[in-house]
Amino acid sequence: MTRLATTLKSPSQAKRGAPRQGLWHEIVKSRWAYVFISPFYILFAIFFLYPVLLSVYLSFNEWNGLGPMKFVGLANFERLLDDQVFWQAMQNGVILFFMYVPIMTSLALVLAVILNSKRVHGFQFFRTLIFMPYITNKVAAGFTFRLLLTTNNGIVNLLLGVFGIPPVPWLQDIWWARVSLSLLIVWAWLGYNMVIMLAGLQTIPGELTEAAQLDGANPAQAFWHITIPLMRPVILFSVVLSTMGSFDLFAEIQSLTGGGPMRATITPIVYIFGQAFTNFRLGAASAMSYVYFAFIFILTLLQVRYFGREES
Amino acid sequence: MLRARTLKLASVILLGAIVLSLLAACGPAPTPTPAATATPVVITKEVQVVVTATPVPKPTAVPKPKGKITVWMWKATQDSIVNPGVVKDFNAEYPDIQVEWVTYNPQDVYQKLPLALQAGTGAPDVAYVEDSHVTKYVYLGGLMDLTDKVKPYLDKMNAYKWSTVMKDGKYYGMPMDSGPVVTYYRRDVFKKAGLADDPDGVSKLVATWDDYLKTCKTIKDKTGYNCFSSNKANNYGRLYEMMLWQQGLGYTNAKGELTVDSAENIATLEKLGEFWKANLVSDELEWTDNWYAELASLDKPVASLVEAAWMGVFLKTWIAPGTAGKWGVAQMPAMKAGQVRTANDGGSGFVIPEQSKNKDAAWAFVEFVCTRNQSVNKFFAAGDIFPSLESAYNDPLYIEPDSFFGGQMTRMAYVNAVKQIPKAYVYGQYYQEINGYVGTAIQKFATGKMSAADALKEAGAAIRKQTGLK
Repeated sequence: MTRLATTLKSPSQAKRGAPRQGLWHEIVKSRWAYVFISPFYILFAIFFLYPVLLSVYLSFNEWNGLGPMKFVGLANFERLLDDQVFWQAMQNGVILFFMYVPIMTSLALVLAVILNSKRVHGFQFFRTLIFMPYITNKVAAGFTFRLLLTTNNGIVNLLLGVFGIPPVPWLQDIWWARVSLSLLIVWAWLGYNMVIMLAGLQTIPGELTEAAQLDGANPAQAFWHITIPLMRPVILFSVVLSTMGSFDLFAEIQSLTGGGPMRATITPIVYIFGQAFTNFRLGAASAMSYVYFAFIFILTLLQVRYFGREES
Repeated sequence: MLRARTLKLASVILLGAIVLSLLAACGPAPTPTPAATATPVVITKEVQVVVTATPVPKPTAVPKPKGKITVWMWKATQDSIVNPGVVKDFNAEYPDIQVEWVTYNPQDVYQKLPLALQAGTGAPDVAYVEDSHVTKYVYLGGLMDLTDKVKPYLDKMNAYKWSTVMKDGKYYGMPMDSGPVVTYYRRDVFKKAGLADDPDGVSKLVATWDDYLKTCKTIKDKTGYNCFSSNKANNYGRLYEMMLWQQGLGYTNAKGELTVDSAENIATLEKLGEFWKANLVSDELEWTDNWYAELASLDKPVASLVEAAWMGVFLKTWIAPGTAGKWGVAQMPAMKAGQVRTANDGGSGFVIPEQSKNKDAAWAFVEFVCTRNQSVNKFFAAGDIFPSLESAYNDPLYIEPDSFFGGQMTRMAYVNAVKQIPKAYVYGQYYQEINGYVGTAIQKFATGKMSAADALKEAGAAIRKQTGLK
């Protein structure tokens, strides 16, 4: 903001006034700039800042959204420690993370490297093709996957049957349901991660690989010793986003598994949403949101710390 | 210079207007927690304005309510009211009330209605809500107290209906339709198995759940067909709840104490489990394509379906129209010989939000639709939505044969069932939450991960922690 204000004022105005007065003066002078950028900040304050701050307060209260709030101190947090479903949801997030993030991230990187090499013809076509699922409506995708993965007479099981494989209970078993969900997520988010990787690859100067190849490195060696180390921050970025993503899944779950069977695919966001908007426990939901936030924050810090450090 | 200033001024005004309109559009933020943006259901919204008929002047002492009222309701029920002309009749009597329909599916109503009640704005004048959900909104607040208005009708509706709209002795809703449970069965399958296929004969074959089990075994042996559908891994307890209801049980007792893990409830779940253990049921989940296919199938059908009266219209119109003449309606199996042979599943009614600006007109509409024999029998005839109004049952309509059900007088079968529905405690303030935990328990039991007792006890402990019920 200040930078914008500085660039807009004339040099003569900059010299006038003491520092404190000067700031106010600058604001007044640049009022039009502020007016024009204000809509974002106003909307941000109403729809993000206010709810975020209010939910701190709410987490110490019991409130159904309509009656009076009742201050309960730390009761919401105490109950949360004992809430099996909440911890099962957190655990599901961890399990899902390990089920799809390594596969999706490496697949995205490999595809990006292939599409980035100049040898592939029509790479734009393939890039679009892989990116397309990302812009597909997740609810529609979820319902479609549910039809494909129906145990009896679903297309996937019919195809597997051609090879003599017995019907897989895709959505009727705890682990298969998680596999099904992972399949949907990889399908839907692979393109997005691949585009991030592609953007990263384009910042790596081609000379490095060429030099390595002149020195006798084969493509695999160049990939492991040049591409991967230089891509480390980009990979980290993609993994951090996927981490948050696995705890945040909502539409995919509602439309594919409904959180079942036996709550094996429920995520914290689905559970918090239910507590707030189905059970009207806005205080408990706020407390959960903050515990969940703290968990994700620490997880992200650890990732940045251990995978993001520069190799010296 | 002047021009530049004018431009500036104009742009500020414009900007201000944009910001203001954005703020106005948002209204009071309904919820403080970060809401997820995606909705799990596809939203279909269509607004249909029923234009008022030409006013017929009628001299009356009290001025009749007038104005526009908005009604939230889902498509099937709305069609059953509008198509046979109930709204036209209503407008003949109340020419100055315009009824504006907003078609939401149930999930949309259940997402939008509580938010509107909490926000204090955005609610319709009349909302149609299932009994399973309405108690939660009664306890949430924001609904109009209808105690004085419903008083004349308390003994005219199916008695069991009132408990879901009551709080502290006051009434916040008006019953419209009930869900008397019967056994729908395939005459062709029973015949093929060498069993009786007339409604009375089948009622005897399924007199109790034990008899039903035996009959199912005969059907499986003779035809290879499954007896009914009951999914294991994603079961959400609908049939189990009917079994509880018929015994006058539920998730709480009359004192409001949690009974999810009571001996009776555990025994009921074990009874259902016998069908899984004997491998007599199909694993298709209700309301999925394969489930419809089984009901509609001519060469690999399921033999029966224990469900409420409203199922008839779904079978007839879109699930299995090709099976016309092959279905029959028998009584529901009882838990023990001589006990109640029906239950309730579903059923709905109307509520009027406190924030409605036109409560008199809203009530006039609700009263007209729910408490007139003529109105309720019109929507019953049109959509098999079984009315809760008992005076309506003395109508020739109820002895009309139904060709889809092989010429059986099915409406009479529903009437006989509805009179027996006991007061039970399945629906209530925490119904959905309890149903979630119990569903998980049933899944664990059905898939063999836990005994019925352990699974229900685990659920009971978790529900007590969440709800504070004893």
